[in-house]
Amino acid sequence: MTRDHAVIEELLAIRSLGGLDGDDVERLERELAAHGDCEECRRLTDEYAETAGRLGFALDPTPVDLEQANEILRRATHPATQDAAPPPSVLPTDELGARRSRRGRMWPALVVAAAVVVLVISAVAILGPGRSTEVTVSTSQTVVGFTGDTGELAMAYEPGRPGALFVGSGFPDPGSDKVYAIWMLQGSTAVSGGCVRPHDGSIVAFVDADLADADRMAVTVEPSSCPSQPTSAPVLISDPLVA
Amino acid sequence: MEAIDLAEARDRELVQGIRRRDEEAFRGLFGRYAPSARSLAMRVVRQSHLAEEIVQEAFMALWRNPAAYDDQRGSVKSWLMGMVHHRAVDLVRREESYRRRAERSAQQETDREMDPADEVVEQIGLPEERRRVRAALDELPEAQRDVLERMYFDGMSQTQIAEATGLPLGTVKSRTLLGMRRLRSALIQEEP
Repeated sequence: MTRDHAVIEELLAIRSLGGLDGDDVERLERELAAHGDCEECRRLTDEYAETAGRLGFALDPTPVDLEQANEILRRATHPATQDAAPPPSVLPTDELGARRSRRGRMWPALVVAAAVVVLVISAVAILGPGRSTEVTVSTSQTVVGFTGDTGELAMAYEPGRPGALFVGSGFPDPGSDKVYAIWMLQGSTAVSGGCVRPHDGSIVAFVDADLADADRMAVTVEPSSCPSQPTSAPVLISDPLVA
Repeated sequence: MEAIDLAEARDRELVQGIRRRDEEAFRGLFGRYAPSARSLAMRVVRQSHLAEEIVQEAFMALWRNPAAYDDQRGSVKSWLMGMVHHRAVDLVRREESYRRRAERSAQQETDREMDPADEVVEQIGLPEERRRVRAALDELPEAQRDVLERMYFDGMSQTQIAEATGLPLGTVKSRTLLGMRRLRSALIQEEP
């Protein structure tokens, strides 16, 4: 018996161009599932994917630095979690503003007075009830919170000195090929502070970076290659840093 | 898609080399397709640094998992460009604001200047490919070409195109199908 592939073909053609959305995404899956082991479905899938892939060659090529290939190989061979000297880049600051404006929760900035006493605080204050990780924070340090759409995060640092400790909880797994990237924002530019993966939803990380010029910190979700420039909008932004 | 030309045969050899962890093979494929991949990513996301990241991410995926390419399902070049396109579209879908920002700054954005000695635009086989694809697109009725270009090059979904053009969604779909059928016929079913 010959099955009708009209609907599948139309949806596959649209999907191959990246245009499928809404209910049609599930509709295509249902149709394909209904056809089961369908040679014609595979043929249509492959041929439309092949056709779509060829369209990109209509554009004039852009010169590319061959050194990028070597950089990819270096990163693949030595998967560092922090780029040595990341170039500054433009962060989507208008997106930052938009996200900040629609945030529902605000982490109160805890500015601790300078003192010589070292205070060991329970991370309960940062991670919330039920967490037991202990974090040592000197009273000469400043603690700032982050606000956004993902998890709870706080950062402790000592103004005028490099390095910052990040403690957070409630972070969803970003996926096997993704990490959370920490950025130091300097005006409209972002400098990488490295990448971390949460463990059981928690993050405890020390970033050995100079925060002297940073106005705020931000967190984005990035490919596990830990790019030197942000490729997505921030999921968390810190309160202003104290100089 | 049974018959393959010499360029495709060479590409498959390079992928085989990458499976053997041959870095020269990787550089060869990068030099051959990164310029076109960069153009495609740039066209969709409209920001050069994002386009560069997308291309690097796609080639990183190739190096890490060359077995993902199945030579029974299509050409290396189409598979590579598909990876780049998917990443670019995914990015603009997640962050539509990128597009708005990019359109505002499109006039200001220029690719960084590079030492010509560092530039790679390997064109073996590609001018002919470009000519064929452009000719196939030019053969399409304008209404079909417009929908396809919005969808593929501008990263718009079928719904967004319907909203932007005022066309019924069904018309967008049918034009896409008819256009893609013509392109499929011109680009794969009648390959030399």
